[in-house]
Amino acid sequence: MAPATGMSTVGRIRARLRRRFRAFITSRIPPSRVVTLNQKRIFIFPNRVGLFFGISLLVMLLAAINFQNNLSYGLTFLLTTLFIVAVLHTYSNLSGLTLRAVHAQPAFPGQQTEFELQLECSRRKEHVGIYLKWPSSNASTVNLVEVNQLRVQLHAPVGKARGWYSPGRLLVESTFPLGLLRCWSWIDLDLHALVYPKPIPSGELPGLATEQPDGAAIPIEGSDDFYGFRDYRHGDSLRQIYWKGLARGQSVQVKQYAAYADRSVWLDWDMFAGLGTEQRLSHLCYWALEFDKAGDEYGLRLPSMSIAPDIGERHLEQVLRALALYGDEEQ
Amino acid sequence: MKALQQIPRNALVWIIISMFTLVLPHIERIPPWVLAVYCVAALWRIMVYRGRWSFPRWPVKLGLIFAGFAGILLSFSTLVGLEPTVALLLTAFALKLLESAERKDAYVLLFLGYFVILTEFLFSQDLFIVLLSLLNVVIVTTGLVALHRPGDNRFRMRPMKQATLMVAQAAPLMLVLFFLFPRIGPLWTVPIKSQQAKTGMSEFMSPGDVSRLSRSGEVAFRVEFNGDIPARSQLYWRGLVMSRLQQGTWSALSFYEAPASERRQTEPERTGEPLRYSVILEPTQQRWLYALRYARSTDSGIMSSSDFRLFRPIVIEDDYLYQVRSWPEAAIETNLSAWRRKTELSLPATDNPRARALAAQFVEESSTPAEVVERVLRHFNAQPFVYTLQPPLLPERDAMDAFLFDTRRGFCEHYASSFVIMMRAAGIPARVVAGYQGGEVNPINRTVIVHQFDAHAWAEVWLEGEGWVRVDPTAAVAPERIELGLEEALAEEGSFLADSPLSPLRYRNIDIINTLRLRYDALTYRWQAWVVGFDQDRQFSLLQDFFGEFTARKFAAVLLGSWALVLIPVGLGLLLRRRTHELSTLDKHYLAFCRKLGKMGIERDFGETPQEFASRAQQALPRLAASIGDITKRYNTLAYAPPGANETELRDFIRTVRTIH
Repeated sequence: MAPATGMSTVGRIRARLRRRFRAFITSRIPPSRVVTLNQKRIFIFPNRVGLFFGISLLVMLLAAINFQNNLSYGLTFLLTTLFIVAVLHTYSNLSGLTLRAVHAQPAFPGQQTEFELQLECSRRKEHVGIYLKWPSSNASTVNLVEVNQLRVQLHAPVGKARGWYSPGRLLVESTFPLGLLRCWSWIDLDLHALVYPKPIPSGELPGLATEQPDGAAIPIEGSDDFYGFRDYRHGDSLRQIYWKGLARGQSVQVKQYAAYADRSVWLDWDMFAGLGTEQRLSHLCYWALEFDKAGDEYGLRLPSMSIAPDIGERHLEQVLRALALYGDEEQ
Repeated sequence: MKALQQIPRNALVWIIISMFTLVLPHIERIPPWVLAVYCVAALWRIMVYRGRWSFPRWPVKLGLIFAGFAGILLSFSTLVGLEPTVALLLTAFALKLLESAERKDAYVLLFLGYFVILTEFLFSQDLFIVLLSLLNVVIVTTGLVALHRPGDNRFRMRPMKQATLMVAQAAPLMLVLFFLFPRIGPLWTVPIKSQQAKTGMSEFMSPGDVSRLSRSGEVAFRVEFNGDIPARSQLYWRGLVMSRLQQGTWSALSFYEAPASERRQTEPERTGEPLRYSVILEPTQQRWLYALRYARSTDSGIMSSSDFRLFRPIVIEDDYLYQVRSWPEAAIETNLSAWRRKTELSLPATDNPRARALAAQFVEESSTPAEVVERVLRHFNAQPFVYTLQPPLLPERDAMDAFLFDTRRGFCEHYASSFVIMMRAAGIPARVVAGYQGGEVNPINRTVIVHQFDAHAWAEVWLEGEGWVRVDPTAAVAPERIELGLEEALAEEGSFLADSPLSPLRYRNIDIINTLRLRYDALTYRWQAWVVGFDQDRQFSLLQDFFGEFTARKFAAVLLGSWALVLIPVGLGLLLRRRTHELSTLDKHYLAFCRKLGKMGIERDFGETPQEFASRAQQALPRLAASIGDITKRYNTLAYAPPGANETELRDFIRTVRTIH
């Protein structure tokens, strides 16, 4: 990154320092799905309250000196050493805490994703008032007092770009027990949320490519005649379940309609020839969602891969994931 | 974010508790309305918490602040000085509570609390106060800990445990710092305790003053002798020398009232072995110190006056420890200067004519001044004079005439005053000396406790060749006062400490009370000698004793070494600490079941599984076979269920265990 011409010296130094710090943090606390806080990862420093306390101690010392009062000296020193003992206690409150990345909810651009992580106390001791926050997420303060592990959900907006969204480093902070010292760590839990392409409607689906893999039916436009029942398969839409039968005590059955049964659509990269990559992906995303809503079978064909037509939640996820990661080397 | 900044309910409770424990030691020196403000503020804050009332709006707050200032101004008529400052701090504490909604307000409150504790020490360094203040430190710290335990929404003692632990860990480090931290003089003058009453002897003495003081059972000072304690009748603690009589009142000459040439003390010849002792004086708000004659002190900041007293240029506001050497046999001021003679002979021209006439008669009858002294003392002894703590009121004019010839009932100051007047009238230089006489020997630590009721006034006359000689006319009237003390002297009258029915001194005849009192006094002495009286000199000699030449390098080594000695174990303890393994409710009840069977003779062996144990027990106790099987089955089911899943089944299990008999 070449420094911009308008950048002042101070700005350059600051940027450089920030880069240095980031490199330092990365080398010290490398990304990992499970992080146990220890002396390598914990930073501790008096916070603003501690500074205020220090000033108070100074005033008390002045009073002790000016009044030549030994017990005032004693109280001042007791509070000073309490401050020092608090360093150990504050540190101990964070040390030994294990954080485990659990799950990140995929989201559409501009939406909130949910990051879930698990806190564990490895040494069976208490961790009180643990403050957790990603730079962009909401904050949460939790206690690990009577439990050995705890799940915490944090929400963060994922931004506009599709692909992997990384929330950055998680701030784990605590000032317990006295609040005079801030003890913290910036950890990278290697937790990424998948961001799907933004669904953009296109007028209609151009050049509807269909295929009959089983060589059976030709799609009957507009027809949604009842066709029969079949057993529930995981991923079937709830709307298709034959609820009345279920109420009568029969097994879970799904109503099949002629049109749905036969229609099997390929969403093809080439359908939107002439458009840009992102736009194509957005349209494909839109249609995938539409077909899923309607309960139609659909497949996806991208230059690098294809997914056979199917229905259901898992299939939709697979398709959206492929769209989200299109062009990503690491998919 | 929001939840983090709120004050947890538990912290609020602790803050309100600390608010009341903090005010406790200050209660005697704050106006009662401050307490009322306290109660209202606490109630208001609780109502705010419960959602009944709302926080005061800013005009109300502003009004309260002004009212607080105005109240303090009205109560103390000043804002300067320690007492108004303390009242201001406490009022601020109460008012701040009223607007404390967030954590940052709580910090201000709690730090203010630490300050309030400190101000208490400026008034009293008593051992009891220190223990109370230590408790206050723990309570305020508890508030701080509770503040950082989010989600504690009911009152819990747990934060106090942590606070106590931390204070206990900090205490040894504090001691090191206390003894090592270099002591320096005050950086600037500070407000004095304007309202504090002066205690003990006053600069002026008129009839009735000493007897008033003798009603108090408070301690004036404590003395520790290096070596034997002299006889009680020799313990004349000189405080003030009163050379001037004006309108019936004796007063001391100040340092600057003497001409420059008279300010220096004439050094007497030091004869005999000196008595070495140290005195811890309770705060007097005065400047003079008490010592046996002829006293010298090498302590810095102690001066000697030309009338052979010790004094300090600074008012004694706190317990004050000083070392003295005294030569009781030394003859002082054998050569009297002309100015001194004139001063010690001056007498208002026309006062007390009958006393003068009597003095003139005595002079005529005797050949030497010593004989005159003797005759006056004999007069006190032979005539029906009464030594009493309740002397009748004397007229303004010629008070001593009225005493000597009419009432003849008086306390030491009557005898001393009339004696000196007669001496001066007889042309013998004489003066009144005020101080304490006697003292109680504490058998536990061999200190001499001098109480306010030991206050005494006597006389000094100047005799050719002997210098100033002590004469105690009271001894001529009531020798038991000097030999045994005030209580014995007033045994018939029964007026000893008549106004303080609760004073432990009144119950000296009850053994256990007396022992407790003396033990506490010994502890107080130790405390004062070691902690309160610790200053630059004592620090220096202590460090010298321990470490020899004390260099900066040794200082750093001692400080760091001793801290490491404490901090390393504390740190290791914290980092390796495991949460004490607590039994679950289920296990607790299962073990109770095992104990019940154990009482019936079936003990569960170490390592025996519940199932094995059950089948053994079933065979031994066929009567309970069914319930044993049931309980074991339930236990096994519950033990492997996810926690908290089967609340009702757990309750059933507990109920079944209870049915076993």
